[in-house]
Amino acid sequence: MDAFTWRLLAAGLCMGLGAIGPGIGVGLVGLGALNALGRNPEAKGSIMTYMILAIAMAEAVAIYALVVAILLIFVTTK
Amino acid sequence: MAEQKPVKKVGCGCIGCAIPLATFIILLVVIVPASIFGIISGAFGKKLIAAPTVELPSSAIFHIGLFPVTNTIIASWITVVILVLIALLVTRKAKLIPGRLQSLVESVIEWMYNFCRDVAGPENGRKFFPFVTTIFLFVLINALMNLIPGFGSLTWHTAEGVVPLLRGANTDINTSLAIAILAFLFIEFWGFKNHKFGYLKKFFNFNRGLKGWGQIFTGKFLPGLGNIGMGAIDTFVGFLEFFSEIIRIVSFTFRLFGNMTGGEILILILFFLLGFAGFGAIQLGYAFEMLVGVVQALIFSGLTLVFATMAAETHEEEHAEKAK
Repeated sequence: MDAFTWRLLAAGLCMGLGAIGPGIGVGLVGLGALNALGRNPEAKGSIMTYMILAIAMAEAVAIYALVVAILLIFVTTK
Repeated sequence: MAEQKPVKKVGCGCIGCAIPLATFIILLVVIVPASIFGIISGAFGKKLIAAPTVELPSSAIFHIGLFPVTNTIIASWITVVILVLIALLVTRKAKLIPGRLQSLVESVIEWMYNFCRDVAGPENGRKFFPFVTTIFLFVLINALMNLIPGFGSLTWHTAEGVVPLLRGANTDINTSLAIAILAFLFIEFWGFKNHKFGYLKKFFNFNRGLKGWGQIFTGKFLPGLGNIGMGAIDTFVGFLEFFSEIIRIVSFTFRLFGNMTGGEILILILFFLLGFAGFGAIQLGYAFEMLVGVVQALIFSGLTLVFATMAAETHEEEHAEKAK
């Protein structure tokens, strides 16, 4: 297999494996937020705000994997 | 009488909505072949329109001296012009009972102000509010401008070929890096301002280790060893904190850049791969992109706010928080 094929394979593996952790993480954040909302429905505004902040922090790791995958496919060094 | 006219509902029972049967058949005859044609002609369409290429570095449109003015810089200038225009329009003749544009701007600013005060406390919130809101509005308008139809389609001929004249400013890594560096400087500024040079004690924590060495030399051997051990842990934790402050720049940059570039690639792929067949998927992708733009603006400004609050917290406030 030539170099470009290896890079494609690497990009696919990178994004695929790199999305497992953040997927579980975002689910856990949602679990915590829904539990808190069930206990205290009046705090909906601040719960939602902090939930979105925590989701973005967990999502950022998946975005790092995406950036590496994009770099692998589209950026060539001569 | 008018209310007694019976409402005639002609429903086509298969999908249960009140569309007349003739209209439904006409829609079916138009949409299904268009979808099939769209899927098939994706392969042929490549000969008519070139598939879009993704270029990560932005292309220079013209040069001022040695400084290349790229298409993302031009887009961010347009954003600045829009924000300044809105600000001028709203504050020139500010009325006590506001008109529509003024109430829209007031509601956004008030929401952001309450958010700053909730996170940072009353006086710190007032001090952090201008910078945080600037980041929020700049990133938000950049992200929404990227979604305007026809935004990337105007082209310009340069030495390297035909490049788009405008490109969403957030998709350039330099924009994200610039805002991240400014946020880092903002956080460190408030840390130094509230603690003077004692802020560095958070990172370079040699006190306990030095006290331990001093205790060994004055004869208290065992407490000296204990303090040396704890001092080593303190130093290590301090270096870790320092490193994580620096890494924060990288994480801010790549979070914004990755979200925006990933979203743009998603839209391009949806359009060019599915054609008309992706009738629902494209709308979904577009709406998702608008949501991601708003959320990323909120994340960037919210995280800057949270880190600045943590940096500016003095010890009395920390004890007051813990005692609450």
